[in-house]
Amino acid sequence: MKKLLIAIIVFVNCSPIQAQQEFTKQLTDARTAYTGGKLDDSRFAMQQMLLELDIITGKEVLKLLPVKMLDQSQNAAADNVSGTSGFMGVVIHRDYGVDAKMINLEIISNTPLLTSINALLSLPLLGNTGDMKVVKVSGYKALIQKSGSSDKPEFELQLPINSSLVTLRAPGYTRDQIIQMANTLPLSQIAKTLQ
Amino acid sequence: MSKIKLLLVIGASLLITNELPAQGLLNRIKQKASQVADKVADKKIDEALGGSGSGNNSNKQGTGSTSSGSRKSNPSNTSGQGLVSTPPNVNENLSAAETAFKAGSYGDARYAVQQAMLGVELQIGQSILKSFPETIANLKKDTIEDQVTSTGWGWAGLTIHREYKTGDKQFTITVANNAIWMQALNMFFNNSGYAQQNNGEQKWKQIKVKGNRSVIEYDKSSGYKISIPLGQTSLAILEGVNFATEQDMINAANQLDLDAVKEKLGEK
Repeated sequence: MKKLLIAIIVFVNCSPIQAQQEFTKQLTDARTAYTGGKLDDSRFAMQQMLLELDIITGKEVLKLLPVKMLDQSQNAAADNVSGTSGFMGVVIHRDYGVDAKMINLEIISNTPLLTSINALLSLPLLGNTGDMKVVKVSGYKALIQKSGSSDKPEFELQLPINSSLVTLRAPGYTRDQIIQMANTLPLSQIAKTLQ
Repeated sequence: MSKIKLLLVIGASLLITNELPAQGLLNRIKQKASQVADKVADKKIDEALGGSGSGNNSNKQGTGSTSSGSRKSNPSNTSGQGLVSTPPNVNENLSAAETAFKAGSYGDARYAVQQAMLGVELQIGQSILKSFPETIANLKKDTIEDQVTSTGWGWAGLTIHREYKTGDKQFTITVANNAIWMQALNMFFNNSGYAQQNNGEQKWKQIKVKGNRSVIEYDKSSGYKISIPLGQTSLAILEGVNFATEQDMINAANQLDLDAVKEKLGEK
C-alpha cells in the first residue's frame, strides 16, 4: 500500500515535468521546421504542443477537484488525463467511492462538440422536458438527465464551460444530491484553468 | 307584417346601392393618393441617385398599391475597405506561447499555439492554391473564389477551395484535411457490397485518378463529383457542372498534381 502511494505521488509529480520537457522539445521542432519551410512538420509539432498543454492543464484541473464528494472519498489511483487533443478533446477523470455508490466525474476539455448540449441549455422548453431538467450550479447552467428504472433512477449532470464539458454521474443518489455534489466543484477556477 | 318586411327589403337595398359607389370612390381616391406618393418617392430616389431616369417614372406607375411605408429600410453599406488581411504571425505566436508556458498561463499558451497553427495552415493552403493549374478543361481559374479556411483546431479542418469556370461550365476543387469526412468516404471503399445502382441507373462507382482510388458520382442537378482520399486524413473533392461525359470529368481530374497536394499536406 505504501509502495502504491509512493508510485502515485511520483507519477503525479513527474509526469507534468515530462510534459513540460516534451512541450519545449516540440516548440523547438516547430520553430526549426517553420524556418526550414517544412510547414507540415511545423504544424505537426504544434499539434503535439497542444496535446502536451492539454495534458498539463488536465493535471492542474485534477489538483483543483475536491478529495471528497458527499460521503465518498476519491480513488486517487483512478485519476487520469487521456484522449486526443483537438477535435475530441482531452478527458480528465476522477472517481469517488466504490461499486454501486461510485461517483464519476469527467471533464472533456477543449472540444468543439458542445453545440448540442448548449442548444438544450439555451432552449428551456427542450431542456425541461421528460427526463431532462436545466438547473443552475454556482451560477452556471447545467442539464440533469434521468435514466434507469422509475424505482431506481440514475442521474447525470452535464455542465458546459466555454469549450469544455463537465459530466457528473452518480447512480444511487438523488437529483438534489447530484446538484449538491456539483456545487462543491470549483467551477470558476476550472473555467479559468481551461480557458 | 308584410309591409314591415317590404320596408326592410327596400331599406337594405338602398343601403347596398348607396355603399357600392361610395366604396369605389374611396378606392379610387386611395389608389390615386398611393400613385402620387409613389411618384414623389421615385422622384426623390432618382434625385438622390443623380437625377437619372426621372423621365421614366410615369412608366413605373402600375397598380399603385405599394404603400410608401415599405420604402423605409435601413441603409445598405456602400463604402468601407473591409478587413486588412492579417494571417497570424507564426514566430511571434510561438514566442508568446513559450512566454505564457514559462509563466504557467497554459490557457494563453494554448491560444498562442492555436494562432501559430492557424498561420501555418493558411500558408499551407495558399501554397496548395499556387500549385493548381491556370486552366482545367479549358476553364479559367477564378481567383476571386479562392478560399483557405482553418479552424485552428488542429485535426478538425483545413479547407482549400478553387473554382474554374467559363460560361455555364464549372470545375470546383475542395481539398479538406478532415478525418471525419474521410471516415464517410472510406465507407464506400470498405463495403464492396454497397449498392452502386438505383433502379438500373448507376449513381456512383470506383475509379482511379492518377493511381489514387476514388469515387465518382453523378447527379442530374449538380453534375459530376469525384472524391479522392489523399493519405490518411485528407480528401480532394472535385465537382464538375455541365461536363459532357464521365471521361471528360476524369480527364479534368487528371490535370491536377495530386502528389504535390499530398506532399504539402504531409500525407503519404
